[in-house]
Amino acid sequence: MIRRALIVVLLIAAAAPLMLAMSQLPPHGSSETPPYTHISPYYLEHGAEEAGAENIVTDVILNYRGFDTQHEVTVIFTSMAAVLAVLLLDPPGRQRAVQVQQPVPVSTVVRFIVRVLAPFIALFAIYVILNGHVTPGGGFQGGTIIGALVIALSLVMSKEDADALLPRKAEHLLQAAAPIAFFVVGLAGLFAWGEYLYFPRDEELRWLSTLMLIIIEIGIGVGGACVLIRIFRAMRAD
Amino acid sequence: MSTLFDITLIVLLIACSIAVVRLKDLLAATVVFSTYSLTMCLLWLHRGAPDVAMTEAAVGAGVTTVLFLIAIGRTTGHEK
Amino acid sequence: MLEALWQNLDYAASVVLFCIGLYTVITKSNLIKKFMGLNIMETSVFAFIVALGVVDGGDAPIMGAGAEPPFINPLPQALILTGIVVAVSTTALALSLIIRIWKQTGTIEADELRELE
Repeated sequence: MIRRALIVVLLIAAAAPLMLAMSQLPPHGSSETPPYTHISPYYLEHGAEEAGAENIVTDVILNYRGFDTQHEVTVIFTSMAAVLAVLLLDPPGRQRAVQVQQPVPVSTVVRFIVRVLAPFIALFAIYVILNGHVTPGGGFQGGTIIGALVIALSLVMSKEDADALLPRKAEHLLQAAAPIAFFVVGLAGLFAWGEYLYFPRDEELRWLSTLMLIIIEIGIGVGGACVLIRIFRAMRAD
Repeated sequence: MSTLFDITLIVLLIACSIAVVRLKDLLAATVVFSTYSLTMCLLWLHRGAPDVAMTEAAVGAGVTTVLFLIAIGRTTGHEK
Repeated sequence: MLEALWQNLDYAASVVLFCIGLYTVITKSNLIKKFMGLNIMETSVFAFIVALGVVDGGDAPIMGAGAEPPFINPLPQALILTGIVVAVSTTALALSLIIRIWKQTGTIEADELRELE
């Protein structure tokens, strides 16, 4: 008990200077802050013409900061590889017996609602991926929606039907779709213009910028969905 | 009255996080955690950041909650 | 100072959430509860950084039809998108490690794990 009180006092003592710092930051919502006056006007004014997307956030993450996004998709691929390595490699030795639970029968209401809503959710996810450069959304958001849809369908279908949604061969081919899409677009830029991941900046070639953005987004969407489905299947399999 | 809405969301956030800390039953803590994620998404949507809000909604309610539920199902469901 | 803190309510709420998450990580001994505290800390930092870019009366930074300046700062949102993806990656890995610990030792309380060595 005394230990908990001591920890609370310590946290309050640590939070007090932070609160002092928060009260001295520029007021919330003001437009005079240094990042807003010095850095952002360039992206807001020139982003739509130079970068080929009307959603400035998609612009920034795929065009101006494309390398960061490439490493981010590598991070999520690495985490999937690590999850598979942790869960599927069994060293010899003492293992606790895995408790086998009785499978609970799925209620009819849940099964009906999931199966009726599934095509609409899939359509919405494809819309989010393909329109990520015009409306809010993008590759990763749509990919996560597809992954969550397949997870929900796996819970209401039998095991064979759920495995048929994403067969083994497709899993192995698609799991690295995101880094490979980046790599392909980057190498195409290297061969055509001499720089890795080069987006053309002329007025006439703006359609090419938009096309490259869409290819990368489809790659991120499909790759992200496959990674999440594989993580789910690895964590669930007994 | 956007200020009243803001204060409601922030109070709900703090209440949800305190509930996550105090609940002993891990299944209930996961459900409250999903509510916390949804409230954070609403806060960002109200502030004008739709991309971040959509990502947090899809990831927080869709993926993180399901992974927590699988982990709780395969280990114990109660905190000692 | 209280006046300024009331105007920056978003920032103060992030600090409070961060401290609640940190308390959970330090005090609780169940590994899954510790990990929920870590996730609360992560989302509180995301909320702080996104709130830094908000402009009063600004629109979302999407140049379509009917969008007028002033716009909200788009750069923090780009940073936080990458941050959310990294958070979900660490969540997946940490939870699978917890399942593995349960399979090997039969307990996921940090106090009992410390005595097992």
